[in-house]
Amino acid sequence: MPNNVILLVEDNPDDEALTLRALQKNNIRNDVVVAHDGVEALDYLFGTGSHAGRDVHLVPQVVLLDLKLPKVDGLEVLRRLRADARTKLLPVVILTSSNEEQDRLRGYDLGANSYVRKPVDFNQFIEAVRQLGLYWLILNERPPMIRRA
Amino acid sequence: MSVQTSDPSLHQTLLESRRLAFAHSQESRPERTALEITQRAVLNILEDFAAEKSDLELGQCATLNIFEDFDAEKSRMAGAQRAALNILEDFAVEKTLLQAAQRSALNILDDFSAEKAHLQETQRAVVNILDDFDQEKVKVQRANAQLEKEITDRQHAEEETQRANKELLAANKELEAFSYSVSHDLRAPLRSIDGFSQALLEDHADKLDPSGKNQLQRVRLATQRMSVLIDDLLNLSRVTRTPMRRERLDLSALARSIAEEVQKADLTRHVEFVIADGLVAEGDWRLLRVVMENLLGNAWKYTSAHERARIEFGASQHNGRRAFFVRDDGAGFDPRYAGRLFGAFQRLHGANEFPGSGVGLATVQRIIHRHGGEIWAEAAVEKGATFYFTLG
Repeated sequence: MPNNVILLVEDNPDDEALTLRALQKNNIRNDVVVAHDGVEALDYLFGTGSHAGRDVHLVPQVVLLDLKLPKVDGLEVLRRLRADARTKLLPVVILTSSNEEQDRLRGYDLGANSYVRKPVDFNQFIEAVRQLGLYWLILNERPPMIRRA
Repeated sequence: MSVQTSDPSLHQTLLESRRLAFAHSQESRPERTALEITQRAVLNILEDFAAEKSDLELGQCATLNIFEDFDAEKSRMAGAQRAALNILEDFAVEKTLLQAAQRSALNILDDFSAEKAHLQETQRAVVNILDDFDQEKVKVQRANAQLEKEITDRQHAEEETQRANKELLAANKELEAFSYSVSHDLRAPLRSIDGFSQALLEDHADKLDPSGKNQLQRVRLATQRMSVLIDDLLNLSRVTRTPMRRERLDLSALARSIAEEVQKADLTRHVEFVIADGLVAEGDWRLLRVVMENLLGNAWKYTSAHERARIEFGASQHNGRRAFFVRDDGAGFDPRYAGRLFGAFQRLHGANEFPGSGVGLATVQRIIHRHGGEIWAEAAVEKGATFYFTLG
């Protein structure tokens, strides 16, 4: 397994623990950076705030982005990522509770690469994370301009 | 008129007589006296005569004057007479003309009387029309007043509708926010409950006896049921929230594709689908797909206890309207409880008998109502059910 960073943007500690458990269950051993709100996620990606001085040329392999977040919500994070040349092509998977049409539409409109709804059934959730890992960490070829973190 | 002694001979005679009488008186007295008396007598006579003559002359002159005057009168009279004749002649011409004019006037009057008759007739007709018109006018006025009232009423109703619409929009927005929140926030704890129950079963299985494991499994099943309920509830509210787009739909084709899907999901069952061809309707594709999925899905579900089943989709006439129907020969239901069929979370079967949240038919009814249609069902226990619906 390549040791490429996964940025998990998730404010709910239960969901964080369950996602990490699901990754572990699927033997996905990538480093996982967890941002607990939109501001933290942007700070990490742009080397500001609590992540000041970080080499921003090292970008994550994939971002797992929740939508309902404190301070700056997921869609706003996505909008700012797509507006910046450094993160414009960064693969972003929206991983959220809702399948509300407006969220899906807005998510894809802002340039999300995938939209996955977290199933309530934990076994189904493990399966979803397995497929995500398989696809985004192994199968998918990243855009050439993005350097690995 | 003046009298003139213009006769010179008479005058001469008088003068001669006087001269002779004077001369004679000069000769002999006696004789002279007799003579003188005679002479005087004669003279007197002559004088009287002369006076007579002069009177006569005067009279004659007067007469002549009168005659002269009369002549002038006569000539004037003749002139007047001629003038009168001329006038009379002119008058005769005038009279002819007048007669002609009178005749034409009479003709005109004749014509006029005919015209008058026409006119009177016309007038009567006009009066009738006016009468009718008056009546019509009253009717129109009454209708106008009615119309004005209706317009006012309608304006009031419109204002009322606009107000209600505003309220509805606000309520809808609130519902939208509520649904959004439910969609995000209500599911997250369920994921935790299910996820950590599963983790407990996996990580600490050695510390749990079979009863403890069974209880945890029940917790998991309950969270999953609640997850389905939340999804169904959200779908139900989405049915009223999403905007409708009407188009022509081939319901037969839609029924066929859904039938294929449910059959693929369970190849062990023996169910015959009978789908009528060419059933076309106007409606929202996504919403009517939900209707057909629910009705055909229910038919599939409630025939599951029978070894062989038949599910039919068709159309029939009900009170002059075309009604589509989905018919099965499955479990059916007791028609006494038909009133509860379309209520949300209402179930006529136990969950252990046939699973379900009781939201499906409520959703179907909302969609049918949004299309301006109606839905009803006929059934008997173990003799199948038929669900009819119309679309506006």
